[in-house]
Amino acid sequence: MAGAVPTYKLEFPYKRSLGPIVGAFLTGLRDRQVLGIRSAAGRVLVPPLEFDPETGEENLEWTRVGEAGVVRGFSWVEEPLPKHPLDRPFAWVLVQLDGADTNLVHVLDADSRAAVEIGMRVRIRWASETRGHMSDIACFEPEAG
Amino acid sequence: MAGSEPVSFMQQMVSLEYKLRASPVAVDFARRLCAGTITGHACPECGLVYTPPSGFCSICVVPTNTREHEVEIADRGTVTAFTIVNPIQYRGQKEREVYAVASILLDGASGTIGQQRLGDVDLDRVRMGMRVEAVWLPEEKRKDSAAMGAGLASAIHHWRPVDEPDTPLEEFAEHII
Ligand SMILES: [Zn+2]
Repeated sequence: MAGAVPTYKLEFPYKRSLGPIVGAFLTGLRDRQVLGIRSAAGRVLVPPLEFDPETGEENLEWTRVGEAGVVRGFSWVEEPLPKHPLDRPFAWVLVQLDGADTNLVHVLDADSRAAVEIGMRVRIRWASETRGHMSDIACFEPEAG
Repeated sequence: MAGSEPVSFMQQMVSLEYKLRASPVAVDFARRLCAGTITGHACPECGLVYTPPSGFCSICVVPTNTREHEVEIADRGTVTAFTIVNPIQYRGQKEREVYAVASILLDGASGTIGQQRLGDVDLDRVRMGMRVEAVWLPEEKRKDSAAMGAGLASAIHHWRPVDEPDTPLEEFAEHII
């Protein structure tokens, strides 16, 4: 049977209350800073958690970490889907930012699969306008030099 | 939206886009509808008449997908149930005024069609048993929807009362949900 296959769209606008920890983290991103929390054992967690994962303690100390870090793991996406953050091939990466002890999941804008490796240095590319959202980090890019 | 206030909410559009290829039965129904005829399928075993047709009888588990099963259904029937809708103005709402939708038992069909828009009637006159007929869209406005397997609303603008006595409750009681 010939004829176009119609496309349908379902959507609902979702508004999430962030609370003091995720809220402060996203406030940091809006101000182009990456914040983490320091656990009782001295580990710096980025993104931050609301409780110390080892002791369950609250009210942990905030600390600022670097805008660059090391790729600890990745998954290459050769054919991005419409909803992916980049419209060209890219990598999902686990980035350990300088000063952090944990990994942040984000996107790496790299030229090709061959340009990505575990241990490489990457740096944040900020969105042109930040608004207090994870996408304020537009993506990571290989660190120059 | 740079500012100095702490960020306390996050907006996110949750959305899903999907393609749906209409079945041949739905496309056939939409074509006939586009040409001004409502069709149904009669089950060869139990005789129930389904409109819009699905291509099978789910009770007898037999196919009804050939021409010989096709029957024409009147564009006239009985309101078996209705709802008066006061549209809340949420995001994306297109309705502005209060209106009525109804389940209608078309003459010649064994089941009702739901969510049918009523028009040309005072809302306080809408009642169960009321006789209605289709007000068709002009033909040029129906054309594009046939291949999509679109439903009744793609060709019928609304249903309006006709000057006939109400259908007695006993005749449609089993169709009231
Ligand atoms: Zn049957």
